[in-house]
Formats: sequence, structure tokens, C-alpha cells
Amino acid sequence: MGDKSDVLQGTLDLMVLKTLESMGPLHGYGIARRIEQVSGNSLSLNQGTIYPALLRLEQRGWIKSAWGTSESNRRAKFYSLSPRGRRQIEEEIENWERIASTMSRFLAPSN
Amino acid sequence: MDRIRTVLSRFAALFGKQKRDADLDEELRSHIDFAVEENLKRGMSMKDARTAALKEFGGMTQTKETYRVLRGLPILETLANDLRFGLRQLVKSPAFALTAILTLALGIGATTAIFSVVKAVLLAPLPYNNPGRIVAVWTANAAQGGQPLPSTAGDFAIWKQRSGVFEDLAPSYDNEQTLTGQGSPQFLIGYAVSASYLRILGVAPQLGRLYTDQEDSAGGPKLALLSDHLWRATFHSDPSIVNKAITLDGNAYTVLGVMPPGFNYPSSVEIWTPSNIAPSAYDDFSHTYIRILGRLRPGVTLAQAQKTLNDVEAQVATEHPQTDSGNRVVLVPLREQLDGDIRKPLLILMGAVGLVLLIACANTAGLALARNAERQKEIAVRLALGATRRRLLRQFVTESLLLAVIGGAGGILLALAGTHFLLGLFPNEVANLNIPKVTEIPMDRGVLLFAFAITLLTAFLFGIVPVVKGMRTEAGAAMKDSARGNTNTRRSNRSRSAVVMSEVALSLMLLTGAGLVVASFQKVINADLGFRPEHVLSMQLFLPPDRYPSTDPAKRRQFIEGVEKRLSALPGVKSVGTINFLPLSGFWGTTSFLLRGQAPPKNGQAPEADNRIITPGYLQTMGLPLLRGRNFTDADHAGELQVAMINQVMAKQYFAGKDPLGEQLNLGTADKPDWWQIVGITGDVKAFGQDQPTHADIYRPFDQLPFPLVAFTMRTETDPALMVKSAEQALWSVDPDLPVLKAIPMNLLASQTLAVRRASAALFSAFAVLALVLACIGIYGVMAYAVTQRRQEIGVRMALGARRSNVLRMMMGFGFRLALYGVVIGLIGAFALTRLLQSLLFEVNAMNPLVFSIAALVLVAVSTAASYLPARAAASIEPMQALRTE
Repeated sequence: MGDKSDVLQGTLDLMVLKTLESMGPLHGYGIARRIEQVSGNSLSLNQGTIYPALLRLEQRGWIKSAWGTSESNRRAKFYSLSPRGRRQIEEEIENWERIASTMSRFLAPSN
Repeated sequence: MDRIRTVLSRFAALFGKQKRDADLDEELRSHIDFAVEENLKRGMSMKDARTAALKEFGGMTQTKETYRVLRGLPILETLANDLRFGLRQLVKSPAFALTAILTLALGIGATTAIFSVVKAVLLAPLPYNNPGRIVAVWTANAAQGGQPLPSTAGDFAIWKQRSGVFEDLAPSYDNEQTLTGQGSPQFLIGYAVSASYLRILGVAPQLGRLYTDQEDSAGGPKLALLSDHLWRATFHSDPSIVNKAITLDGNAYTVLGVMPPGFNYPSSVEIWTPSNIAPSAYDDFSHTYIRILGRLRPGVTLAQAQKTLNDVEAQVATEHPQTDSGNRVVLVPLREQLDGDIRKPLLILMGAVGLVLLIACANTAGLALARNAERQKEIAVRLALGATRRRLLRQFVTESLLLAVIGGAGGILLALAGTHFLLGLFPNEVANLNIPKVTEIPMDRGVLLFAFAITLLTAFLFGIVPVVKGMRTEAGAAMKDSARGNTNTRRSNRSRSAVVMSEVALSLMLLTGAGLVVASFQKVINADLGFRPEHVLSMQLFLPPDRYPSTDPAKRRQFIEGVEKRLSALPGVKSVGTINFLPLSGFWGTTSFLLRGQAPPKNGQAPEADNRIITPGYLQTMGLPLLRGRNFTDADHAGELQVAMINQVMAKQYFAGKDPLGEQLNLGTADKPDWWQIVGITGDVKAFGQDQPTHADIYRPFDQLPFPLVAFTMRTETDPALMVKSAEQALWSVDPDLPVLKAIPMNLLASQTLAVRRASAALFSAFAVLALVLACIGIYGVMAYAVTQRRQEIGVRMALGARRSNVLRMMMGFGFRLALYGVVIGLIGAFALTRLLQSLLFEVNAMNPLVFSIAALVLVAVSTAASYLPARAAASIEPMQALRTE
């Protein structure tokens, strides 16, 4: 467990958006599993935290949800990107890159 | 944008909570099922698969809680909880809730009702251009009683030229007219106003146009502007009235325009005509008839203008000492001019009702204090269980607001009913009172906003004390306290005593004020008018100059004689008389006079007396006593010796130590004397109202000076109101084209004069009674609570040998002491405040000791009575029982 890192506040939203962008409509469990897989299981993600994040995104109108049926014929709530959410991804990525580059400048060995 | 969306969707989530919860449950269940399914595929046992899935998920309950908080609006949800809890609390103690709500409803309702009148009358926006800078300008002179009166055209011209404080200054004068050719003849209150006068008011006509400066010149065309009311009532809202011809006093006038509704300055004017003042008039410094309206320059204050104008007038007085000495110029803002005599009473009533509201607050605070003390245990338990003080505070505030809002809603309903009643207290058809027309008192947004604001204010006032006290509660201490059964700490005692004392003090102030006002009203009602108004019918009319010109006095005489004869012949009429300016009618005029041998005053004006012209039957008809000498007779014709009577005021003022009978008065000028011999002295008449001083009066016979304003008076055997029809028929049998200005019994006229006083006295008394009732309830509540609190203590005392009478005395003494302190504070407050009532008082000193002592006694008695029942309850406590409970 020691080599797993916690999810940074705010980054989870972007991960969810990105996941929905590449995978299309997906249920909560699917989103959580996909994030774990992409991160190579290096993130310590309580799957439950995905739901408040989904609610937050839905309240902002970036994603939509609807009940549907999975491949295994199970009833589940499917989330998909709204047009607004699709546009928002660009902005969120820029945000993230700005933060990341700032952080890396801080952490770079000083010359 | 996103934030708004978020709030909206959170707000939406406040509804359908159960379905949303079920939704979330199902979603999370399906999540676990997916995980279990996958784990099973990996080859785990069912049990392990499930355990692993739940572990992966993290805290299920935690997730749900985070989700729920994020989903809704926690503040609103707590509020809803608090409201539900508060309502349950109120329902649990219905006596408290009802009393508090009723108290607040009465306080807020009364205050809102009075405010709605204040708003409709004093705060309504004036429909004039920049009304704050418009002033009426009057001349006051101590020799004429010092009240603001019209000015001379000469003064007007100089003020306009020299003062420099006005953007514009405009003249106007009374111009009553008789309209004929439109159904029955109609007497119209008219004003001749300059073109600039209308520009100052800055109101455009709703039809047609205003006249120009060229049109408003001596010998200019005969033009008229109609009031909205006249246009609607008499001309049936004729849309093509403009440029039509109408007949005023027998002359053809062209209608130039119709003024909009609400344009009523000066009030009750129906028709405006050009002033047509000839330039030569501006050399006239002796005739005071010009009513001036001015617009101040921007940046000039009223006080500056007042001072400048008085400086100018001081110069004029040196140039024209005979006419202008002692003149003072009085500027009255348009607003005050329109509000007239009703402003001060209304403000006083507003103050009084504010005190009632304060009492209502104190009352509710007292009740809330008592109830919260009962809840000390509840508070302590909640604190001990970890409720934050903030959370408790919010709970208390919500409860106070809940009470206040319910009370406020009730108050608005009461106010709605109240304004209907209040409208009746301010009559409109009263000519002898200067009060604005109020046809409706709307319960509009402003009033509702006010009601809402005072509701919040009351919630704060009555809620703050219990909350602060509640906040001081220490969890441990309160629980220990209640275990010992002794919550009657010194501190809680003190705030309850304060509530009782302030209620007593406030009620005393109101009661004293009401006492003074009512005592004044009694004095006014009982004041001797100087004549007997019962069984006298008056009928006022105006002789139009086209048919009764001043050049033909014989025609006027004939008319009066003819009508008096017909009226006397009516069955039930005992006697008939005529006067020009009917007492209490609002019409009056003066004449200046010189005594025989008296040199014309060099510095200072000739003295003035009211100009009253009567027929011989007038004194007898009105019941006006002849004190000395003789009455006029039919023999006092034109061409005979000119005779006059004077009243007592005049006899005392100008003939000190001399017999006025046989003396002669010069009613002309020093150069052109006009001599009248005094033949009689009459009693004094309160011609301006029971509460107004009597002026010096000079009576002269109608036959020797036929005057165009006429009021017939007849003393009847039965109800004079029933004689109006036949009196009018008698008049019209002599001249069918004469409109009756007003036909009204004299006692009704006398009673109308007191309308504002009556309303003030009635409302003030109502407020005082309300205050007493509220104070009574408040004191009773606090005392009753004190008794429950001291149950154990009383039980112990009685167990130790105290007798019931001792307990009774102890509790009564407690209430009595509080009342006494309250009375002392209240008396100090009353001494400070009753001065403000001056304008409502009449022959009653603002410090009247009798009123003060009665009010104090009443309050001590009432509050002692209010503490009797609780004290008796205390005295009937069974000691053993009291000690055993707890």
C-alpha cells in the first residue's frame, strides 16, 4: 500500500471527465475501475468517493445521468458527458497543466 | 454560471428526498453487485467477493452522508428542521403561543395601520416637479395675530425683484366663480394664477395646454383650466372640451386644458384662470390678497431664503412704513402647506403607537423569558449532548422569527381592517380645517415592507434577551440547578423585573398622553362657542358679480330680503338671519379701522378686526347675546347713520376704561374717512373653532353694506338637517340660478371642526387601553411564572411556619414594588415627552398634575390587580406537595 498515492482534491473530477470522454456512457463502478486501471493501480481510491464527484459534476451540468442496463443485464445508472462538459475538459486540462508545471518548477533541483 | 446551476439543482434536491435516497441506494447496490460479480469471476468465494467489494468501496454510510450534504442545501434543511421543531414547541404551549402572537399582531397591526395613514398622507410623492424646492410665501404681522396671511402685490413685486433666492416667484389669488349653462348652476372654488405659477408646479395638463405669459396679462383673453374632477363630473369627460366656451360669472371663457388627476394645489380648486394682474397693481401695498408660490434656487436652503426675504421686507418696511411695519415673511414648504393641520397629530399618533409596539415587544420578551427558563433543562441536555451554541442560537432565533412572522401576518390583517376605520376619522368635506384630501389608504408595497421591517425589529427586540440568557446557560450548572429545583437565580429575576418595569413605564407614558389629549378634547367640546349651534341650519352661497354687481347694491338687498321672507314663512322656522362670513365655515375677512381722534399710526399698521356683515335677525337666530346697546333694525338703511356693533374682545382691547357705545370707527383711510357709530356690544363667537382664540369683530348691517358672500341662518323647531330641501326651494323661488355652496346644520359644522381632535383623542385612548391590556397580560404572565419558579421556596417557607397571608403579601409586595419602580420611570418619561403633545392640547397643561396622578394610580392599581391572581395561587400552595414534587 505504501506505494499508492491519495487522489488530489479536484483531480478526480478531471479523471472522471476524461474517462467519460474516452469510454462514452459508463456507470459508477465502471468509471472507478477504469480510473484504477489507467493509473496502473497506483492510486488509493475509495470507490465510494466517485459518487460525490459525479454528483458535483452533474450539479454543474457537465455530465448527465440516466438509468440503463449493463452488458451483464444489470440495472445501473449511466453517466455521459454533456456538451458543456465536453467543452469544459479543455479548460480543466489547461488548469491542471498550469498547476502541474508550477509544481514541477518548485520541485526541480535548484541550480 | 456553474455556481447558479449548482445552487438551483441543490434547491431542486430539497424536494422528493425519499425518491432521491432510494435512487442512491439502488445505484450503490448495483456498484457492489458489479464488484462482486467481477471478484467472483476472479475465482473468489461469494463471501470473500463481497467483503473485498465493500472494502474497495470504502465507507458506505460515509459516502451516503457526504452525498446527501452535497446534494441539498444544508442551511435550508436545518431551517426547515428548526421551523418544524419551533412549531411543535409552540403547539405544545398554546397559551404562550396564542398570547404572544395576539400581542404581536395587535402591536404590529396598530403600528402598520397608523403608518399606512402617515404614508398615504405625509409621505405620498407629490405630483409636482421637484416639490422639495417649492414653497408658499406668506406675510405675518403681530398686529393681525401673527398667522401667515396673503401678501400685497407691491410686496410680491419687490420680493421677486430683490431677494435673489428664488428661481421664480409667482402670484395667485382667490377667484370664486359661478358656472352656468351646464345643468344646475355651480359655485366653483377658483384660483387666478400666473402662467409662472403653473410652471413652478411643473405639471402638464392631461388635455390641451397651459396659458403663456402673453396670455396672462392685464386685459388678456378669458381662459380657463379645468380640474380633472370638474371635467369628469360636470363635463362628462368630454374628450373635445378643449377650445369650447363655458360661462363663468356670466362671461364666456375658453377652456384651454384639463389638469391631470391628483393636481390639487391649492386643494379643492376646480378651475384656474390667468391672473391678469395689471402692472399698476404692483404699486399697491395695502390690499393683502396675493398668495405666493416660489421655487427656490438650487442650493438655497429654506432658512437662508427665509432670512434673505425678511431682510428685504425690513427694507420695504422703511420705504412703506404705513403698510409694511412689523411684517414678517413666512416660507412654508409645499409638503407642509398641503399637510396642514394633520401633520403634527399624525406624527404624535405614530409616536404613541410606537410605544404600543414597544410594550408588545416587552410583553412577548417577558413571556419568552419565562418559557425559556422552563426550557433550561432542555437546553442543558442539548448542550451536554454536544449541540453547539451556534446551533442553539439559530434554534432560538428561528423560534422568535416564527412567532414574529405569524404575529406580523395577523397584524397586517388587523391593519387592513383598521385603515378602513381610520379613513372615516379624517373627513374630506370639511372646509374649515386645513387637511389634505385622503380618499384611500392603500396597503401597498411600502406599507407591507414597513410591516415586515417592524416584524423583524420586534423579533429582534423580544428575542434578544431570552437568547442571550439562553446562551449563558452552562450545561453542568443548569442541570445541577434544576436538580436542586432552584432556577430562580438573581439574574433571571433581574431581566424579568426589567420587563415588567418597562411595560409599566411605557404604559404610563401612553396613559398620561392619552389623558392629556382626552382632557383637552373634553375642554374643547365643552368650550362655549358663543352662540347656540343646536337647531340652526346654515346655507352658504355666493352672489355672482355678473348678476349681482357691486354697482347695484339694491339688487343684493332685494335678494336677501326676499329669501329671508320666504325662509321665515317655512313651517318650523322660528327666525332667520344672514351673515357674510359664517362662523366655522372657513371663510373670513378683515377690515382695518381707526378710532375717532386716533392719529394714523406712523410706524405700524392700523389695527384690524374681522369684518362681519349681518341682518337684524342674525343675533337672535344664532343665539348670540347682545350685551349692551341695541341690535340693528330694519331702519338702519343705506343713507341713514352708519351703525356698527363690536364684540367684547374688541371692546376690551381698544376701549379700555371707556364706553364704546356712541364712539365712532373710521373704516376708511385717514385721508378718506368712513365713519361708523358703535351702537351695540355683542358676545364673543369662536368663529374659527372651539380651540381657537376669538378675534376682534366689527358687525355692520347688510343694508348699509351689501356683501356678495351670503350665509342664511335659520333657527328651526325640529332637526335642521331635514329642512335643507325646503330651504333650497325657498332660495330658488327667489333666484333659480343660484348654486348653494353648502347647507349644513351649525352643530354638525361645529363637530366637523373637531374632526382631527376627535380622531386623535379616540386613537390615543384606544392605544392607551391597548397598552394597559398588554401590560396587564405581561405582568400577569411574569408574576405567574415567578410563582411556579418559587414553588419550592414558598413550600419551605410555609413548612417553616409562614402563613398564607404572609405569602400573599410577599408576592403582592413583589409585584407592587416593580409597578412602583415602573411608575417612577414612566413619570420621568412622561414629563419629558408630553411637551411634544402641545399641538393636541387645549387649556390643559402638558404637566397637568391631575392627569399624571390619575395615570400613575391607574397603573399601580392595574399592575397590583394583575399580580393578585398569581399571588393568591402562591398562597394556596400545599407545602408538602410543593416539597415533594421534584
